[in-house]
Amino acid sequence: MSELTVENLHLAYGDNPILKGVTMTLNRGEVVALLGPSGSGKTTLLRAVAGLELPHEGTIRIGDKVVFDRARRIDVPAEARNLGLVFQSYALWPHKTVFDNVAYGLKLRGIGGAEGKSRVKAALEQLSLGHLGQRFPHQLSGGQQQRVALARALVYNPPVILLDEPLSNLDAKLREEARAWLRELIVRMQLSALCVTHDQSEALAMSDRILLLNAGRIEQQGTPQQMYSAPETLFTADFMGSNNRLPGRITETRDGAALLEGDGWRLWGTAKAGATRGSEGVGMIRLERIRVTEGPGDNRLQAELTTSMYLGDKWEHLFALGKERLRAYGEGPLESGRHWLELPQRALWIF
Amino acid sequence: MATIAKPTLEVAAPRPAAAFVGSLPRALTIALTAFAVLAPLSLIVYQSLLSAPFFDAAKRVGLDAYAFIFADPDFWSAVRNSLLIAAGMTLIAVPLGAVLAFVMERTDFPGKRWIEPMLLVPSFVSPMVLSFGYIVAAGPVGFFSIWATDLFGGAPWGLYSIAAMAVIAGLTHVPNVYIYASSALKNLGSDVEEAARIAGASPFRVAVSVSLPLIMPALLFSAVLVFFLGLELFGLPLVLGDPEGHLVLSTYLYKLTNKLGTPSYHLMAAVAVCIVAMTVPLVLLQRRLLQNVRKYATIKGKAGRLRELPLGRWKWVAVVLIGAWLFVSVIVPMTGIALRAFVTNWGFGVKLAEAFTLDNFHSVFEEPTHVRAIWNTVLIGTVGGALTVACYTAIGFATHRRNDGWSRVVDYLVLVPRAVPGLLIGLAFLWVFLFFAPLAPLRQTIFSVWLAYTVVWLAYGMRLISSSLMQVSTELEEAARTVGASRGRISREITLPLIRHGLLGSWLLVFMIFEREYSTGVYLLAPGTEVIGAQLVSLWQGGAIDVVAALSLINVVLVFIGLALALRFGVKLRD
Repeated sequence: MSELTVENLHLAYGDNPILKGVTMTLNRGEVVALLGPSGSGKTTLLRAVAGLELPHEGTIRIGDKVVFDRARRIDVPAEARNLGLVFQSYALWPHKTVFDNVAYGLKLRGIGGAEGKSRVKAALEQLSLGHLGQRFPHQLSGGQQQRVALARALVYNPPVILLDEPLSNLDAKLREEARAWLRELIVRMQLSALCVTHDQSEALAMSDRILLLNAGRIEQQGTPQQMYSAPETLFTADFMGSNNRLPGRITETRDGAALLEGDGWRLWGTAKAGATRGSEGVGMIRLERIRVTEGPGDNRLQAELTTSMYLGDKWEHLFALGKERLRAYGEGPLESGRHWLELPQRALWIF
Repeated sequence: MATIAKPTLEVAAPRPAAAFVGSLPRALTIALTAFAVLAPLSLIVYQSLLSAPFFDAAKRVGLDAYAFIFADPDFWSAVRNSLLIAAGMTLIAVPLGAVLAFVMERTDFPGKRWIEPMLLVPSFVSPMVLSFGYIVAAGPVGFFSIWATDLFGGAPWGLYSIAAMAVIAGLTHVPNVYIYASSALKNLGSDVEEAARIAGASPFRVAVSVSLPLIMPALLFSAVLVFFLGLELFGLPLVLGDPEGHLVLSTYLYKLTNKLGTPSYHLMAAVAVCIVAMTVPLVLLQRRLLQNVRKYATIKGKAGRLRELPLGRWKWVAVVLIGAWLFVSVIVPMTGIALRAFVTNWGFGVKLAEAFTLDNFHSVFEEPTHVRAIWNTVLIGTVGGALTVACYTAIGFATHRRNDGWSRVVDYLVLVPRAVPGLLIGLAFLWVFLFFAPLAPLRQTIFSVWLAYTVVWLAYGMRLISSSLMQVSTELEEAARTVGASRGRISREITLPLIRHGLLGSWLLVFMIFEREYSTGVYLLAPGTEVIGAQLVSLWQGGAIDVVAALSLINVVLVFIGLALALRFGVKLRD
């Protein structure tokens, strides 16, 4: 069952269109990540769902209740949409204790006294904050603040919880722990969550489904595996993962494969939409799929090693191929000079 | 399984308050503001178009009042004097204020921490008191004049010429420039100056070719501000212009009160309209310039700590310059008042120790009207100040985070009183109380003075309030909306508690300006509505020097109590 449905949402700031017709759904118990570069409209979409931005076209339904419908002039104010929103900055009220921050939503719903108290306690326990109730937000670490923000959004059991870059304010080491913890919490509590992020690895790790936004439109959506290993467009392929880009000319196509030719090299790859014979094409391949090999062979090309970088768990080698640069991972250092690189046909996408 | 898992405890969203109820307090606030601002002003314009006071049965609509004043040579000489003094004081205050700001913000000038509050003293002390201080300190028989005569056989200065008034007004308005110039320098990222140093410019070159151009918008703004304040001057020309009969616009208007024997309200209104016609463009210009200042402030880089520039040999030049300015604009008038309040009389051959007395204070406290004036002044600053801040806050909330037409209307409403000198607002409110019969009973109460004060300082107060409101991050309010709080509850339970420190600071600042205020109460002075400021104007006219001195000192003490509290609680004395 769909907890949240957005249809054909348009939104502009003045003359500047931000959302250009976004349609999406969020099912019960599902985590959907809104992924995209900055300026793609992902946070605006989240805020429109929350009722903090005013779209000029489209509908938004929460459960089976219409909360926004431009055509029917329905716009339920943010405070009546009964959603939970975790802000990027957490936005904890500095004048209220942790307990009061969490209790406010219940107080507004007329739940005070013993019941309110026990529910706030329960929520704090749930997020391992039980001992911090009487502290003020400024006395907490970043990770604790984030959990308070989450408790505040969850305590009144909203049908959908919205997360705006929930991990971006944590430092790198803490972020990975928090990611695992958050994923676990969401699954355990069967939350339906919509989560904005600009970090593709965060989206891959945390969500059941990814919506990739590009300039106010949904570029592609699907499971993390689909998004990563079967991108439909150049933008998706480029945005997910670390890539090599190889421009050339498509000289032959057959059976879903295309031949890309450049200055002194020719490579077979998987043909993607728009790859037609005789046109300019772009080959895309993930860094981890290029192999440094001993000698010539199918789908191999020769390139000059320019430098190598030691990354700790592996090496990254940088090769020059005419004007182009290719990067590949390796287990050890390489001698300088020319090397043969293999770009497997299945891993090389031609757009 | 979690206690707060969904299926077990479903909670309905709170019902939103009806939109109409939510906006009723707002509509009321806007309506009251509009009335308080527009009623007095329209009454002035209306009165200026009559041939007699508005309560006179024989009044006719026409331009007679304008014809009369335009035919009066005194009016034109007042216009000329006003422009001369305003221009002169601008020329003095702006360069001095800029230099002062540079020395205080950028160099290793000794003792900056405790000098800073001293620099602001002239802007906190009532101009009436300051001017009186100058007369008793440096007038023909002032303390300093007599000491100078003893030492050098003569005092080489005179106080009563137009030039002297421009100099004194210029020196005492240096803080107004200093405030804007120094905050512009503060906001100026030190990196742009460091970049110039690295590129090879000497500190002096940097000051002239980088810092100065970048704070130019702020200086231009403060120049317009000072010129504008020059047109508004009242206390200074009233006290210092009197002996030689120099009139400026405001004193011309004041003298008109009794010019024809009967109340000449129509003439006063015509002069008032002329003054406002000169100040309104200046206020609009200031608004434009302020946006410029902000534009420059936003290009700042990192606000790192700048290494102070060693003054070296120049230190002594700076010490002498700032010392001289402090001496002339703070120490001379303040000593004058402090001494004069404790002597029976003063003149050639009088020794301080022999003339010492407390009689001046006795006579103040024996006279019920003076006691009432002191009491009212304290009351209007404390209780009245709190009420005023409450009103300003209500107006602030009426426009906070609302970008509709009404918010813009309020923006302009708030700006309007800025263009009208306090003397005129007081006069206009007198008419409002006479004109609207239901308000008449309030006329004889301190409420009338409080209302006029609140309107006069509306623009200033709203700046304080909105800068507090701006500091509340939008997300804190949005977070409250998403958990289900209505607009009214957000204002009461989130925003208001968050700005309470800002409001307390505003209360202290409003207390100080209300203690300092004098011109607004002049026309509202009646049994029951005495405040020290207006009382001083009236007593000065009556020549009661001893009482004026004692009351002035009391007034200064009240302001300084506010100042000390503000410093103690770390209130920012400027925005």
